[in-house]
Amino acid sequence: MAGLSISALLIRFTLGGLAVVISTLVARKLGEKAGGIFAAFPAVYLAALLTASLDFGGAELVNYSILLSKGAMVGMTINIVIAIIAGYLLPRKGWKKGLAQAVGCWFIISMAVVVLISY
Amino acid sequence: MNTKDLLIRFLLGGAAVMLSYLVTVISPWKILAGIFAAFPAVMITAVLMMGIVSGSKNAAKVANGSVYGMIGGVVCVATVWVTLTISNNWLFSIFLGLVLWLVSSIAVSIARERMKNIHLKYVKNIVGQMREVQIRHNK
Repeated sequence: MAGLSISALLIRFTLGGLAVVISTLVARKLGEKAGGIFAAFPAVYLAALLTASLDFGGAELVNYSILLSKGAMVGMTINIVIAIIAGYLLPRKGWKKGLAQAVGCWFIISMAVVVLISY
Repeated sequence: MNTKDLLIRFLLGGAAVMLSYLVTVISPWKILAGIFAAFPAVMITAVLMMGIVSGSKNAAKVANGSVYGMIGGVVCVATVWVTLTISNNWLFSIFLGLVLWLVSSIAVSIARERMKNIHLKYVKNIVGQMREVQIRHNK
């Protein structure tokens, strides 16, 4: 188990909060679809890179960031599928049921992909 | 929209991303930690808030818009990866990745809208031609 870092928590909190606020403001000004683009701001990935800069430096930081990016490619691809599923389910099932089912799909797909990659 | 509303959204968005990180650190199961490392917390929160305030239709629009942002996310990660490999410049790679995230997200969104419009025009033309044929046939 990796250690819990307060700075890592704070970076994630700030980036996540800002992304949701910007998404809301853009949705108000330019419409919901434009707001949706900012809702997909890669906050988790960016936070992971920034946190890595606190623990590593120089060539080690570059190598770790490349490794992180390889893993993030898989996660981002799954998230595209989940966003498509959410866009399909929400108008048909209502936002509560639709969102819950989309999160369920994300969990199942992610689990299957991780199992496939691991074994 | 007042400051209090934006503050609640900020707290919720921040908490969601922070919680997904906590799961990756605290979870005793490595597999669960790996899965939550890519949890789309910001999108889920944004869709949830839009659902509460404006209903399912607008929440679906945010989800549809986030597809473009997620495609931009893949472009961002690929850019950081390639630029890091070529230049070894960490800060520049992240900056370029973020710029290309926004540019590619907007480009994909515009391209999709144009394709939709072209498709609509094509369908309208076909329907128009069919009507003309029907009118001629009736005469």
